[in-house]
This record gives sequence, structure tokens and C-alpha cells, in this order.
Amino acid sequence: MASRGLLSRASRMKTRLQSALEATLIEVEDVSYQHAGHAAVKESGTNETHFNVKIVSSKFDGHNLVKRHRMVYELLSDELQSGLHALSIIAKTPKEAGM
Amino acid sequence: MARSLSQLLLKRFVAYPLTRSSAITFRSINQDEVWYSTSVPSDPDTHEDFRPTSKLESSGLSLENIVEQDVKENPVMIYMKGVPELPRCGFSSLAVRVLKEYSVPISARNILEDPELKNAVKAFSHWPTFPQIFINGEFIGGSDIILNMHQSGELKEKLKTIAANQGKAE
Repeated sequence: MASRGLLSRASRMKTRLQSALEATLIEVEDVSYQHAGHAAVKESGTNETHFNVKIVSSKFDGHNLVKRHRMVYELLSDELQSGLHALSIIAKTPKEAGM
Repeated sequence: MARSLSQLLLKRFVAYPLTRSSAITFRSINQDEVWYSTSVPSDPDTHEDFRPTSKLESSGLSLENIVEQDVKENPVMIYMKGVPELPRCGFSSLAVRVLKEYSVPISARNILEDPELKNAVKAFSHWPTFPQIFINGEFIGGSDIILNMHQSGELKEKLKTIAANQGKAE
């Protein structure tokens, strides 16, 4: 279980993704406010539910989008089980990102 | 035995109405008595998530079988929040808008109507969020991926045969 309380979900997610994917670039943006009133927000008892995630990692090399998204979802499975509701994911390799 | 099974089947399909709409008109097709179209919730102020949703006593028929059958029989299948005519989530709305760009029939199920169905779809695809799109039985992904494929031209390629068949039918 991810530790909860002190750190925001965004920073937990960032740390987790960064260390596992050795990301060249990582951005995690909490956009939960755009979904205020969304039923799942109330159900989960947390207000950190919706995030935009942008990751550039060479670990995505050779994997299609479904596989890349699965990699991200798997790394965040604890968060998904504790109220994280939806992610918008941009997952690129350094080459695709022009880096 | 066979009879009770078919009754179960009937019950299941009645309980899980499938929306099948043309991309252009979103008319509902009544393929047969069982596959009846769903309707927009009668009270637009009450979000489905707040309603008691479990309206089924458990039966022997696995929901996963229904999902399997859905994606096999419907060239474009989307599991979404709300219905194509009235999506209940921005991501579902985006996915429907993208698919509507192509002249293909879209079949949809509203996963907000039943948490059991929602879990069955998740288990089937091993994907934690919605919407989920299947084309010709293949799991495609969610709204980010469908948008990406739309922009790259990959989606047009994938839907080509379905769109061509649709053109012939009309």
C-alpha cells in the first residue's frame, strides 16, 4: 500500500514512475478540480482523483501504446485501488519526444 | 437444463441492454427481441453512480462471457460511462466523439449501470479505467489511445473494412 497522508498523490505517483521508468522527463498534474462533483470523487473519499501524466522514458522503446499505458497503470495499481480514478497518459520514448 | 440456461441468458441480456447506434444518426437497432436498445436515464439530475445499481440476483452465467460475446459480435464496442448520446464523463465523451468521425456502427454499454459489469470488463481487458474500446474483438485502449490513433491515421485504417461494410448496408 502506498503511504498516505503527508505526501500528495501527485508526488507519490511521480516518485513511483520516476524510479521504475527512469524517466527522462516526468510531469504529473492534478486536474481533479476539473471533475469536481463527479460521482467517483465523492465515492473515493479523496479529492485527488484525476491526473494528467506525461512521461518520456526509453523503457517505452519497442512497446505500443496499450503496453505503455499498462506499464503505467501497473506501477500505479496501489493508487488506483485507493481512489485514483482516471489518468490521461502521454507516454513517449526520448526519440519520439525529440529529446 | 438447456431451457433454464437460455432463460438465464435472456435475463442477462435484458438486464444489460446494449446500445447500438449508427455513427451518424445514433438510431438504435433492435436486432432481435433480446438485444434491445437502452435509453437515456429518465432523471438527468441524478447521477447513475448515486443510484442503487445492483439489480441482478447472481446467476450462473458469467458476465465475462457477455463481454466476450460483445466484443466478438460488435465490430466497434465501447464500454463507457453513460450512453453515446449522453456520456457521463469527459473521457467517454471524447472517445465517442472520435469514433463518430467514422461511418461505423458503435455498440455501447453503460458501465455505470452495474458495478459487476464494470468489474467484469476490467477483468477481461486487464485495464483499470473507462472508456474501453474494442475493434474487431481487439482491445484498443482508452480515450488517449483512440485519440492518438485518430490523429495518426491508424484508426482510419483499422475501421476501413467496417466502414466499407456499413456503406454497402445502407
